[in-house]
Amino acid sequence: MKSTLLERLKIHMNERYGHLPWFRRYEFLVPGLIITFLLSLVILPEQGRPENVMSFAAVLLIFMLFFGLAILIITDREKPVFLKRISSLLIILLFFVFFYQFSGTQWDRVRYQFLNVEKLEGVWPLYLNGLLVTLKLSAISAAAAMAIGLILGILRSLHNPVLELILSAYIDFFRAMPLIVNMVIVFYALPFLGINLNAFWSAATSLILMNSAYQAEIFRSGIESIPKRQVEAARSLGLRPMQAMRLVILPQAVRVIIPPLSNNLVSLVKDTAVAYVITVPELLTKARHAVVWKRNPTPIIISMFIYLATLLPLTRYTRFLENRSKRWVKR
Amino acid sequence: MGQKIDTQKNEQPAIIQVSDLHKYFGNFHVLKGLNAEINRGEVVAMIGPSGSGKSTFLRCLNRLEEPTTGSIKIDGTEIVDHRIDINKIRTEIGMVFQDYNLFPHLNVIQNVTLAPVNVRRMKYKEAEEIGMNLLERVGVAEKAKQYPSNLSGGQQQRVAIARSLAMQPKIMFFDEPTSALDPEMIREVLDVMRGLAESGMTMVVVSHELGFIREASNKVLVLEDGLVIEEGTPDKVFNHAENQRTQQFLSMIL
Repeated sequence: MKSTLLERLKIHMNERYGHLPWFRRYEFLVPGLIITFLLSLVILPEQGRPENVMSFAAVLLIFMLFFGLAILIITDREKPVFLKRISSLLIILLFFVFFYQFSGTQWDRVRYQFLNVEKLEGVWPLYLNGLLVTLKLSAISAAAAMAIGLILGILRSLHNPVLELILSAYIDFFRAMPLIVNMVIVFYALPFLGINLNAFWSAATSLILMNSAYQAEIFRSGIESIPKRQVEAARSLGLRPMQAMRLVILPQAVRVIIPPLSNNLVSLVKDTAVAYVITVPELLTKARHAVVWKRNPTPIIISMFIYLATLLPLTRYTRFLENRSKRWVKR
Repeated sequence: MGQKIDTQKNEQPAIIQVSDLHKYFGNFHVLKGLNAEINRGEVVAMIGPSGSGKSTFLRCLNRLEEPTTGSIKIDGTEIVDHRIDINKIRTEIGMVFQDYNLFPHLNVIQNVTLAPVNVRRMKYKEAEEIGMNLLERVGVAEKAKQYPSNLSGGQQQRVAIARSLAMQPKIMFFDEPTSALDPEMIREVLDVMRGLAESGMTMVVVSHELGFIREASNKVLVLEDGLVIEEGTPDKVFNHAENQRTQQFLSMIL
């Protein structure tokens, strides 16, 4: 009875997978996986950096064997998708496990230095205040930069020689100037010209100057991507130039504009961290305060996660907008 | 008094008067002193070899191209003049292009109502009603909520015609309206144009659909090298052409 079951399984496997080469068949992959696993129990060295060439070779061999099996599964068109996903996930996990085990890093010290939860006591209000300033600075700068960038982009798309000269000078200048220099100049040098801006508004001004220059180019390229015939059709109906821009060109250009614009907005939010140099109490400044106060760099690492958590919804939302703006495109 | 001038203006038979029209693209002389007169209610066909300036001439008539010198009077108003508001004139002239140029981000009914709502300041409901009637007339009413990319070429061109008609123009220009279409779609567009001609619309048509020209037009202009070289009824131009170049051109396309 037992032998007939095995035979039936064998026949079934041959019918179902007989056309595959031997190294892609489950009869090879499953025993291969088991043998590699047993082998790893025998030859892998102790935790810590491998002491001699042989133990290093053993680590490398085991990893390469698992990696090879995963590759055999992932590159096969006929394997089910969930199997491929699981094997790619496992091999990445395995890499980190091996790194943790055999890199010789002193994880206790790493944890104490960079992920020390005890040192976070009492710093959360700091983060909250900092985050609010960062968000306010980002929102104001982004809104103003987009408004100015749009106007400059439209003006630039007119190809008026005089405007062209002025605008390209503005755009080239502020795109080339490092943001940190820009902020220092606005904050420390402008008061000598009688323009006194506090730290927050200096940072906002610099961010607006730089990002409006970037965005002007984004808007211009979006506008210019729409064929001239569309303008002609709109104008022949009696629409005025700005109506044609608002009703016909910009709604179509949005599709082209959104991906680079969302890129720019993400870097704008991160660039608010530069305001640290002119003492704006934003997220990074507060994190640095916490570092000094707690004598531990953990707060900086945590601020990274806060930036990530802030920006993830933004990128998700722009992706949603991008898909929505494509609904009239034939697929 | 003012009323009298108005009626006089309307009684003028010529709705488009062109005299000595020149157009340069840089150093390239395209239109070389064109003269033409188009009367109210007339259907005028323009033919001629490629590069003869047909499209440029048509586009000069609503100043999509700026004429270099010369005079164009539309309904008594001189339009080769930078002081006039060309947008006002354009609302009276519908234009249909070779590649339809529908607005891809708007659905069919939005395409049709865009100009009436934003230029004529019509209420959307009213514009939609007029638009739906027009779509009915050109036979694409059931596609009103579709985007242009889901329509066939012939359907798109008929929507383009409806879009122009929604402004209730006095004159319609057609710039090779069937050149980009498959044969079976050409007919549906020509049928719409024929209906429009029968309703008494003044039309200027650049086209090589000789059957349509013979049947529907009152006058044919033959352009060659930036000049009108032959002018007359379809019968006269097609059967008794005086100019040798016309005969040559016709023998090529007939």
